Amino acid sequence: MRWFKQLFTRRRRYDELSQSIREHLEEKIEDLVDDGMSREKAEQTARRAFGNLTLVEERSREVWQWPAWESFWANLKYAQRQLWRNPGFTVTVVFTLALSIGANTAIFSVVNALMLKSLPYPHPERMGTIYTRVTGVRAWDERHKLTYEQWQLLRDDVPALLSAVSGSRTSGVNLEAGSHVQYLQAGRISAHYLDVLDVQPALGRNFTDLEDRAHGPNTAILSYSLWRNTFGSNPNVLGQAVLLKGAPYTVVGVLSERTITPLNADIYTSLQLGPEGEGSGTNVEAITRLRDGANWQEADAEINRAWSHRAHRYELNDDPSAQVTYHSVPLQKGVTATLRPQALALMLATGFILLIACANLAGLTLVRVLRRSPEFATRLALGASRWQIQKQLWVENLLLALLGGTAGVAVGFVALRGLLQLLPQHYLPVAKITLDGRVLMFTLLISLLTSVLFGMFPALAMRKFRLRSAIASHSATGGDPLRLRQALIAIEVALTVLLLAASGLLIRTLIHLQTLPPGFDATGVMTARASLDDMRYHDPVTFRKLLNESTAAMRQIPGVQAAAVGLSLPYERALLNAVTISDSKEAGQHAMTDEVYITPDYFAALRIPLLAGRSLTDGDGPDTQHVAVVNQTFARKYFHGMDAVGHYVNLNASLNTRIVGVVADVAIAPGIDATAPLTGEETMYVPATQTDPQLLALVHVFFQPSWIVRTAGPIEGLTAQMQRALASADPDLPFSGFYSMRDLMAKTLATQRVEVALLSAMAALALLLSTIGIFALVANIVAQKTREIGIRIALGSTIGQAMVHIGAAGVWASTLGLILGLILCAGALRAMHSVLYGVSVYDFPTILIVVLLLGAVTLVATTVPALRVAGIDPAKTLRDE
Amino acid sequence: MTKKSAYRDLFPGALEMMILQTLSRRPMHGYALAQHIKQISDDLLQVEEGSLYPALQRMLKTGWLESEMGVSAKGRPVRIFKVTAAGKQHLEKEISSFEQMFAGISRVLLIAGS
Repeated sequence: MRWFKQLFTRRRRYDELSQSIREHLEEKIEDLVDDGMSREKAEQTARRAFGNLTLVEERSREVWQWPAWESFWANLKYAQRQLWRNPGFTVTVVFTLALSIGANTAIFSVVNALMLKSLPYPHPERMGTIYTRVTGVRAWDERHKLTYEQWQLLRDDVPALLSAVSGSRTSGVNLEAGSHVQYLQAGRISAHYLDVLDVQPALGRNFTDLEDRAHGPNTAILSYSLWRNTFGSNPNVLGQAVLLKGAPYTVVGVLSERTITPLNADIYTSLQLGPEGEGSGTNVEAITRLRDGANWQEADAEINRAWSHRAHRYELNDDPSAQVTYHSVPLQKGVTATLRPQALALMLATGFILLIACANLAGLTLVRVLRRSPEFATRLALGASRWQIQKQLWVENLLLALLGGTAGVAVGFVALRGLLQLLPQHYLPVAKITLDGRVLMFTLLISLLTSVLFGMFPALAMRKFRLRSAIASHSATGGDPLRLRQALIAIEVALTVLLLAASGLLIRTLIHLQTLPPGFDATGVMTARASLDDMRYHDPVTFRKLLNESTAAMRQIPGVQAAAVGLSLPYERALLNAVTISDSKEAGQHAMTDEVYITPDYFAALRIPLLAGRSLTDGDGPDTQHVAVVNQTFARKYFHGMDAVGHYVNLNASLNTRIVGVVADVAIAPGIDATAPLTGEETMYVPATQTDPQLLALVHVFFQPSWIVRTAGPIEGLTAQMQRALASADPDLPFSGFYSMRDLMAKTLATQRVEVALLSAMAALALLLSTIGIFALVANIVAQKTREIGIRIALGSTIGQAMVHIGAAGVWASTLGLILGLILCAGALRAMHSVLYGVSVYDFPTILIVVLLLGAVTLVATTVPALRVAGIDPAKTLRDE
Repeated sequence: MTKKSAYRDLFPGALEMMILQTLSRRPMHGYALAQHIKQISDDLLQVEEGSLYPALQRMLKTGWLESEMGVSAKGRPVRIFKVTAAGKQHLEKEISSFEQMFAGISRVLLIAGS
């Protein structure tokens, strides 16, 4: 504990040291005086012989210190005083850092949650999903849904993996609990699904193989929140039957509070997939877990062996000569794949923000260092080394960066909460996003990085520092930093241009999508979904009766002009079905089409214009000729603009359906075409009354039909009346909630809106920082050149000319940056091709707006500080010299 | 740069050895010590007197020296440095190793000369 004792005796040591040195000098002086020297001369001689007094004392004291730490501490205290003394500078720097580091922190926490954090299951690295890789004419490599055949082979012939499948999304179901019926989200999972996740129910057990077999016993597992809220946490619920989907289901398990599944459902039922119906198409998603002792290579080899000898290889439908292989992908990558490019693009954008901020700060600190040259000159003259001064500067930068980083965490926290509120519910496939240790570590690292980036130039300037000229000219500068500062501004302006152009293109895309003619009239329309995935509605007669009575009751509501039911709505995803064209030139062609069953008032309720033939009527019943109305795209694609009315198609491979009318296209979410957010795809509208009874049960598992009401009256109170009208037809059928068509459009365009909001925020931030940068540059030139301007004005220059002379530096930097930025755009914006709709990558209006915006900002940022020139009094500046 | 020693022309530890050797004969204060070293080294070591002090502090810290109040030749109260037992031990060790080294160098020089 000697160091501890030293801490307290150090003061005494220092005193003794000073005393010794004083004695030394005094005695020497006295000796010299005794030798006949004058006292003044003796003092000088003694001091010269002794050397640099301060330095000797400092070196001697250092013996008692931990020099690195103590000098750091001293530097830190000094830095803190310096920053405190320049609140304007400090606030600007900390504010800039807080914004840029905050943006990085928020976006990184999303990236962290999506890509870096492990899934919340034991041994997440042993969990995977399967990608299909097709090479050939149409190459792709992505997670594909499975058929029953594939699932069976995966389950039985791939011993390296424990596998499970589930429906790809939850679906709305009705649960009767006590006196009322609830609309819930149900997840359909195979046996071993929870085993693959390696989670055990808190009560009861998982589904057994027997329960997972087609037509097996109906069983259910409750989520913790459902068990608590609806069943009052009653442990006796196990083994009891609950009325779900109109049928009794036996509760076999309750999940624990902490358990999250990728489906995030309220209640789980066993999938019971068979070769017929759902299992005949690709409708389920697989998750896998590597068994002990197996590795991924073995697993992939087994999957390829098992799946390559199937009877129906749908992968080869488009191109029989294509090469198809399968490979495992970490589950986390599988579930976040669609969001990764966006998250990484945002990370890149925030990286730009950080660079822009650093360029600004480098300029500011550079000027500050040059302004402090008298201070450094004095310190150098007193014996400080350059390294000591540099160290001082680095410590100041570090302190600023850490202050900025701390403020950045706070900004990031707020920004992240704002960001998450912006996102629609269940948009991200992760349970929660937090500022965890890794995010904080990232923030600390980028704070350190910024301090290096913006501290680099001042430190380099310090190396060129000339002591002699510094003392002589009172304000020596190591070289001309104006060029360097202009270059920094140009770089940040260039990055800003890129961000502005990118966000401009996204905004134009969003405007394009929002203003696409929807093909129908959305005003005065209210919709609500209900689940018909219900035993009672497997009977077509009950189903028809429900539709009839409920729409009739809704038509009685005062002000209502039309009421209808449709399996899906505009802006939504529709059911995909296969059709065969029976006659015309394309006879025999198989095609995929969207299929929507509707009641006769559907077109009237949405005001979708009828272009040819007739609409569907009450006369189209189950026993009359099967009919359909197709949309314009369908007619154009299969009948080449000829009149489609009167032609026949084979729907569901059996019934000959007559096309009786053609309606206009409406905007829908893509089903066939996976690239565009809103498309006009081939669509067939068929009478709800003529829907195949077997298909009816299946489509109601995937889709919850919507009731549509068009009213001339006020929307208020309409929803309660709609609910009453539905209850008059079936008191046990709850609506999921009510949506206007605007809500549905917003939901469909959620991704675009989020992209636009985030990137625009980044671009605005970049513009703000660039403005500050240009402003600071010009303001600083005005301050530095006050004398020169005074002389110019005294020699006859007008104030206007002086302002132009000063402002030019900022305008040049900005112009250079603009040109650089446009070149950058030419190369980089091509990467955005896949997210743009209705606007090309090189969009003239966007570029024009960016140029104008930047021009305006540059003008303001150079003019405002240059106005100070007007306040310069030439007589006064000259007198000051 | 801060580590640059004014005594770097000497072999490492030479200054310490000279200080220990001087003070082991007679405890002195700083000025007297500086004068003494200058005299005996025949002004050979063109050093600043102040450079002595960091070395003194180092040796105080290591425990080779201790300091106490005394009186100078001129009758002033001054801080006297004297060698501790540990300092004596270190000096003996240094001298013997220095002698060994010196003997070694001499032998090499002798062989090289003959």
